[in-house]
Amino acid sequence: MAEEEKKKRKKRRTATKAAASIGPMVKAAIGGTIKAKEEGKKIAYTFIVCLYDEILRAMDIVPVWTENYAGVCGAKRDAERFLERAESLGFSRSLCTYALCGLGFDQWREELGEMPPEAPWGGQARPDMMLSSGQILCDPRNKWYQAAQQFMPDVPIHNVDLPYPLYEDDIHFTDIQDYYIKHIIEELRGLVTFLEKQTGKKMDYDRLSGLVDLGEKTWNLIHETYELRRAVPTPMGTGDAMNTMVPMTFMLGTQEAYDFYVGLNKELKEKIARKEGVIENEKYRLLWGGGLPSWFALADFNYFNSKGAVFPAETTYRMVQPIYHMYMPETNDPIERLAWRWFGYWVYWYDKARKRPGSHPDVEWLIQYIEDYQIDGIVMHEAFSCRTWHLGLIWQLNQLAKIYKPIPVLVLGKDGRENKASRELPSLVLESDIIDITSYSEVDTRNRIDAFIETLESVKKGKTI
Amino acid sequence: MNEKNKDIFSRIESYYTDYGQRAKELKNEGIKIIGYMCSLIPLEIITAAGCVPFRMRGDVHEPITKGDINLETIACPFYRSCFDLSVKGKYDFLDGSIVAHGCDSMARTYAVWKYTLDLPYSHFVNLPHTISESSREFFRAGLNTFRKSLGKFAGKEISDDDLAEAIGLYNENRDKVRALYELRKPDPPIVSGTEITKILTVGASLPVAEANKLFDEVLEELRQRKESPFKKVRRIMIDGACMDNIELVKLIEDLGGNVVVDTLCNGTRDNLPHTDTGNDPLSALADRYLDKINCPRTYRENKEQDLQKELESRFGDIGFFARESKADAAILYVYKYCDPFGFEVPVRKAYFESIKLPLLYLEDEYSAGTIGQLKTRIQAFLEMIQ
Repeated sequence: MAEEEKKKRKKRRTATKAAASIGPMVKAAIGGTIKAKEEGKKIAYTFIVCLYDEILRAMDIVPVWTENYAGVCGAKRDAERFLERAESLGFSRSLCTYALCGLGFDQWREELGEMPPEAPWGGQARPDMMLSSGQILCDPRNKWYQAAQQFMPDVPIHNVDLPYPLYEDDIHFTDIQDYYIKHIIEELRGLVTFLEKQTGKKMDYDRLSGLVDLGEKTWNLIHETYELRRAVPTPMGTGDAMNTMVPMTFMLGTQEAYDFYVGLNKELKEKIARKEGVIENEKYRLLWGGGLPSWFALADFNYFNSKGAVFPAETTYRMVQPIYHMYMPETNDPIERLAWRWFGYWVYWYDKARKRPGSHPDVEWLIQYIEDYQIDGIVMHEAFSCRTWHLGLIWQLNQLAKIYKPIPVLVLGKDGRENKASRELPSLVLESDIIDITSYSEVDTRNRIDAFIETLESVKKGKTI
Repeated sequence: MNEKNKDIFSRIESYYTDYGQRAKELKNEGIKIIGYMCSLIPLEIITAAGCVPFRMRGDVHEPITKGDINLETIACPFYRSCFDLSVKGKYDFLDGSIVAHGCDSMARTYAVWKYTLDLPYSHFVNLPHTISESSREFFRAGLNTFRKSLGKFAGKEISDDDLAEAIGLYNENRDKVRALYELRKPDPPIVSGTEITKILTVGASLPVAEANKLFDEVLEELRQRKESPFKKVRRIMIDGACMDNIELVKLIEDLGGNVVVDTLCNGTRDNLPHTDTGNDPLSALADRYLDKINCPRTYRENKEQDLQKELESRFGDIGFFARESKADAAILYVYKYCDPFGFEVPVRKAYFESIKLPLLYLEDEYSAGTIGQLKTRIQAFLEMIQ
């Protein structure tokens, strides 16, 4: 990227000090993986939300979160050359651009025998192993490393199945959980065996147990901390949450991650006590209702702020639920606890959905946040290259409108009489990509945001009393 | 022409053109029709429940309009077309739909289908991605859940004997498809790729016993062809996912190639592998749909850490069918937004290169609107391999 452009782009403003500390933290983590490689530590390519974070930590394996590095390239607006390289290798540009960026980078690094020139933050370390974790979550997780093996045939892959059941009317998850849990446990044990073979050392299950304790404690703390954002004005928005997700998703099972949320919790409580919000005059409270952000355009959150809109909540990267609200059987086996945590997370909204006719867990999640965070409108982002997190979003909005009339208000009728009605919940669907900047138009995006703000304004003023 | 079978091809044409006509008749007789779209659905369980599995098709000539209201345009274009037709009422005769965990386009939109179409029955078949003892056991348990769920809907407890009988019928069906493919082996072939596509597409819209009977009649008729009605030209293989419209195959054949074999979902991928018999039928079904169907969505461990051996292990079936059919060249046809196949394109190309089979790679949308572009590229390719 041209130096001039780098200088021109100012650092994005965050509401919390905690969020501002993330950039250097990620940079240090990426630099740390390169140093770890030099020191001969075992490096594993892997994906976030993989469930086995604590297993890797317990085995002293250094994870390289390949989606993260692609996101960094995107955020630094330096993904294009890697995307183009992947395209030149025969991969369609319509595929997951995280994966394309990673594949372009890997092939270039393998071809050169060193990091590609001016690789963002020093580059991505060559792995000793690649750990896929697809199953129901994401096709590219199943295919990315397999494709990368074309350039790194000597690097072994271990694929871990991590299933969870989709929501069905006629089948309660408790009726089928036994075979799901059994398979997840077997898959995790298979992973441990693989890692033991790769590292030549045995798993220390006491250590793993301690790390799972820490992971569970971190989950609960994150939940409690994020719930603080219910406050009016909200002390932290989604723009910041796209930073504060880093310890949750890249560092789970470390004391550093836990301490980060202790700090964030304290900071948010102090801001609430001072009634200090993301912005001075909070006019609209919005829910980021789905979709990964455009990492190169996080400043759009600041643009929303400039219009009086804040995001007290988001479903994206809210990858924890309170453990104390999940069913966790009494067991000393940390592998079993991990399996139940995984299962419990994914079925978390199922029973709530069952109670509302026409509802669905994804829709129920939106409804809960609309109510808990006093939401005025919903924003989603459709990233063209990612089917995993973006298919079904439009339907969720339509289904929400169908089954949920959220905010009872009095409406002034034509005859001048007051009638009971429901306030509208406007929504906006932005369209672009996670890292492919060629799909993005700042002018169009901001025009759409402006129009949405006008809608919010008219709904708020409208004829409601 | 054999008198008994003289109208067999006009019957196939009628079933192909008015797709679903037999399913509608059966529906009027009180039989439950269950729609599906992927080769990973265990049809044997649907048949054993006394229902008729019906493979939903898209329509490359129908612009996607109403479907876009609830389903994003970044989904698989084939899948979007099927959804669009469903929303427009083309498949109103369905009593239920089964969605497989084939890919993200299917898995992530299960709720979209379920709630939008609001059919009396729906079920998601959750296939694991790995192949191991544990995943087989998991999948078997999932199939048992499906058996109970569908049985409840159909009002019939599905026994092992019911399953065994259905497995027998489908294995018979696969033998007949195999026999049809044998007729593609002569040079020139006895049956064209266009005809085969129609026959197999129609077969997937009928109860398996009727499809078997139809295939018998077709085979009898085709065996009457003492001489091939086709020219001796370049023999083409098609590799890819689902192709339920004749357009591409017909285009190739109109341009002067004979399509003699495929590794497509509704071709050899689904229609040839048998289910083992004699043991636990659910385990045998789990084994077939998880392991025997070579779909890129299922991860197969690379034990060798050697690219060439890895290629052979994953794509050996392509080489096998290409050799068996004496294919001169191949076309790899992949839909836009297809992650499972899309990530394999470079490695599939490498495999075709390793077996020295000239390859044309086409990424396409599920639309007749692209036929002009395809024509230019295929024409150039056929000229190149002359």
